[in-house]
Amino acid sequence: MSLINITLIVYVVASIAYIAREIWPSAGIRWASLGLFILAFCLNLAMVTKRSIEAGHPPFSNLYESLIFYACCTTFVYIIFEFVYNFRIVGALASVLSMLILLYATLQDDTIRPIMPALKSNWMLVHVVTYMLGYAAFGISFVTSIIFLVAKPFVKKTHGSSREEEKEILPRNFDKLSYKIVAFGFPFLTLGLVTGAVWAKKAWGDYWSWDPKETWSLITWLAYLVYLHTPLVLPKMNINKSKAAVMLAIWLLISFGIVNFTFVGMNYLPSAEDSAHVYGSK
Amino acid sequence: MKSVKNQPGIQEKEISGNIVQMSRSRVIQNKKDDSSKIWEFFCSVKLAVVIILVMVVACILGTVILQERTLDEYTARYGYGLATFFRVTQLNNVFYSYWFSFLLILLCANLICCTIKRWRNTFLQTGFILTHLSLVLILIGGVVKFQLGVKGGVNVYEGKTVNYFLTQMINRQGKMDYIKKDLPFSIALDDFILEKNEPKYQLVSYVKDKDRQKVLEVKPGKRQRVPGSGYKVTIKDYIPDAELKQEPINTSDKPENPAVFVRLFGSEDLAAEGWLLANARNSYDDKKQNLRVEYIWMPSQEELDKAVSSVGSSQAKLSVTISDHTQDYPLELNKVFKIEGTNYSAKMLQYVFNYGDRRPVGEQPMDNPAVQVEINGPEGTETRWVFEKFPDWDKMHPSKYKNLKLTCSGIESTHMAKNTVRFLHSPEGKQVMLYIKDKRIVETIPWELGKKYTISGVGSQIMVSDYFPAFDFKQEVVKKSDEIGVPAIFVEVEGPSGKADDWLFSNNQYATWYTDNNLALVYESTGDSIKHFTSKLRIVDNGQTVAEKTIRVNDPLKYKGYVIYQSSYDPEAGNFSGLQIVKDPGIPVVYSGFGALCFGVIFIFYVKPFLRKKTKKEMEE
Ligand code: HEM
Repeated sequence: MSLINITLIVYVVASIAYIAREIWPSAGIRWASLGLFILAFCLNLAMVTKRSIEAGHPPFSNLYESLIFYACCTTFVYIIFEFVYNFRIVGALASVLSMLILLYATLQDDTIRPIMPALKSNWMLVHVVTYMLGYAAFGISFVTSIIFLVAKPFVKKTHGSSREEEKEILPRNFDKLSYKIVAFGFPFLTLGLVTGAVWAKKAWGDYWSWDPKETWSLITWLAYLVYLHTPLVLPKMNINKSKAAVMLAIWLLISFGIVNFTFVGMNYLPSAEDSAHVYGSK
Repeated sequence: MKSVKNQPGIQEKEISGNIVQMSRSRVIQNKKDDSSKIWEFFCSVKLAVVIILVMVVACILGTVILQERTLDEYTARYGYGLATFFRVTQLNNVFYSYWFSFLLILLCANLICCTIKRWRNTFLQTGFILTHLSLVLILIGGVVKFQLGVKGGVNVYEGKTVNYFLTQMINRQGKMDYIKKDLPFSIALDDFILEKNEPKYQLVSYVKDKDRQKVLEVKPGKRQRVPGSGYKVTIKDYIPDAELKQEPINTSDKPENPAVFVRLFGSEDLAAEGWLLANARNSYDDKKQNLRVEYIWMPSQEELDKAVSSVGSSQAKLSVTISDHTQDYPLELNKVFKIEGTNYSAKMLQYVFNYGDRRPVGEQPMDNPAVQVEINGPEGTETRWVFEKFPDWDKMHPSKYKNLKLTCSGIESTHMAKNTVRFLHSPEGKQVMLYIKDKRIVETIPWELGKKYTISGVGSQIMVSDYFPAFDFKQEVVKKSDEIGVPAIFVEVEGPSGKADDWLFSNNQYATWYTDNNLALVYESTGDSIKHFTSKLRIVDNGQTVAEKTIRVNDPLKYKGYVIYQSSYDPEAGNFSGLQIVKDPGIPVVYSGFGALCFGVIFIFYVKPFLRKKTKKEMEE
């Protein structure tokens, strides 16, 4: 069986383990699920490493390579957060998210092709890595927003009884959690945008030329910028707090849609044909 | 970081503080009410959010609507009405439109005002001030670039010097304008090097009934399944530089595949020689002497006798097969004919003797004859090339009218050289040589093996030196060298009709089909891509060389505020180097903005929370 299939299966098993842990909260399952997730990460990292060795260049020269790297980053960022916060069901969905990304990668052309000269740059390396970490954080905030929206109508004001639950973040507080995750990811996105501009200047002579791919990465940045500023506005606008939280969660879902559009959806734009940066156009 | 008790957002307390401050200022400065309202407006986060959202919409429009194209392009794509609408609203150039500039100015004002208003000399505010002002810097830098910067390109040939470049823009009439800009120095291209990657090869499979194409691994020895089908493919051998050696042999005394070896002599020396196969490649054209040599096998003595008295050659024709019924049409250009049994019509547009050859038809060798056909039917018009030698070409290449199979034959006969020597041969052993000049038989001579005959009108001599009744090739694949030249793989396919194997050559652009005609394999180069290209440049200012550098992508040359980038190359011959020339005095401003922005966001989201937590802990203690 190929490495990618094993990785996919481990992601699924990890997801099931996280659901199991929600039903029978025990320390054993906790560690087992986290262990499985870390195993999936290692396998995913092995895929990335194997690919870069086989291809002989950093693994982001085409969509296939970028996607497996993206999945790897998502898992990595999730694991960091799992150590910092006492997460609940998030791992189950984060695992599914990484799995879907990998699954999407299997649909792509995986031929190793030589990389074009413009991609041979250290700026590009920093650019992609920071971007992927940013995207990964937004992926996790997407998951927490979904859980928040789903859980909100059900778990109204149940009080955590046991001490174990006290420490945990309950889904009804996931709005604050989402904010923290976005706040973690946003500097990476900003660094990605800036290093991308510097790299473009070096390679194409202009740090910004309103190329569709550039424009969409700006749109992504602006979307999260709005998210970060709205908590300053909403209190002034007599919208009740719980409604505001729902609106922000929905905005995060939309923003993650924009992220994915910037990443892979671009190719469907009429202007993509003469973009210098769209995957697979050349 | 474990505590989540804080409100999301950046400090609500201070905001309410601002509101209090604002209302107090209202009481005190009643007269200045209006101006303070404006001030508040420019300071508000609400304005910021609105501006950003409008910018998002503008950006989306700017990528969905094609930007900066010629008026003709807009009219063709969107129709006249929309094209005019885009021009009036500047939606054809969103990012340089007046309204977008207005938006950016508003954004700038907002950023400056809110920063002034919130200015506190506390260390914790560093990030807030840096990020907001960095954006102002970047915008100012952008304005400088727009006002004082130039960007253009020039193609330089090796050994040549240029002192100008061209910029491109759409003028008011919606047409593309090239403007020549002079450089205050000149650029000499001393050397241009285009380095290609070693070509890579891939094995592509195509399963016809699934219409699915997939790249297979090229790993000798590994048995792999063609995805989505039951076929299994094993690569049994690989030769990096292979050659197919073909040795002609005779396999029988019966005329199963008659062939003659013909030698053509100039005044004295051998001019050309080769096999002519009656059933396949049965002619040779000597363009210089306008001479054609043909070898024709006649089915019987009577047929031969008939042929000796008339020139008549076979007719070129196009055959159309639709649901197993085949109909022939004589080759006639530009005549529309109805395809029998359908409501399609077709038209032959042109024919060539060697597809892809740019010379006039008459000068082309008879290597790859093809006809271009236009088909009209319910799904619209389709033009398709039909190749005489590759009747299965259209199976491999999806087309609109898949149900129509087109083949052609006899295209050669459209061409009649001035002089023709025709060797006729019949089963009874009768051998006649015809010399045809201007479509009339001039001479009729019985020919014999090994005898030279003079072609009177041309002045050269001809001889049939060998005859194989059952011509065949003994084929052998040999290794020419260890370097990568023409790689070939020996592939075994297992499928419903058993095992089959064959050599696949990477220089064969046509597919090899498995016996059931459902699986095709192509072993091909993925195209030789460019590894890098570099230009050795010399800057000459006032007649003196002042700078020298070999530039490449990602490594430009800078001189007097101009930056010269390697941007492209001559894709056809690799003769010229495409340079991009940029002058942007705004760069230092923009880059300081970039630096401040990066530092600012890191401060706000990583440093500040960390410092906060620390002071909080200290206070608790
Ligand atoms: C990287 C980009 C940005 C970051 C990280 C950022 C961050 C912040 C932060 C942390 C605050 C709160 C300051 C505090 O509470 O002390 C703030 C407030 C604000 N920001 Fe931004 N901002 C960014 C871009 C922008 C942009 C593009 C605008 C648009 C004009 C903007 C307009 C505002 C406004 C109006 C306020 C409110 C100031 C007030 O309440 O008086 N910011 N921003």
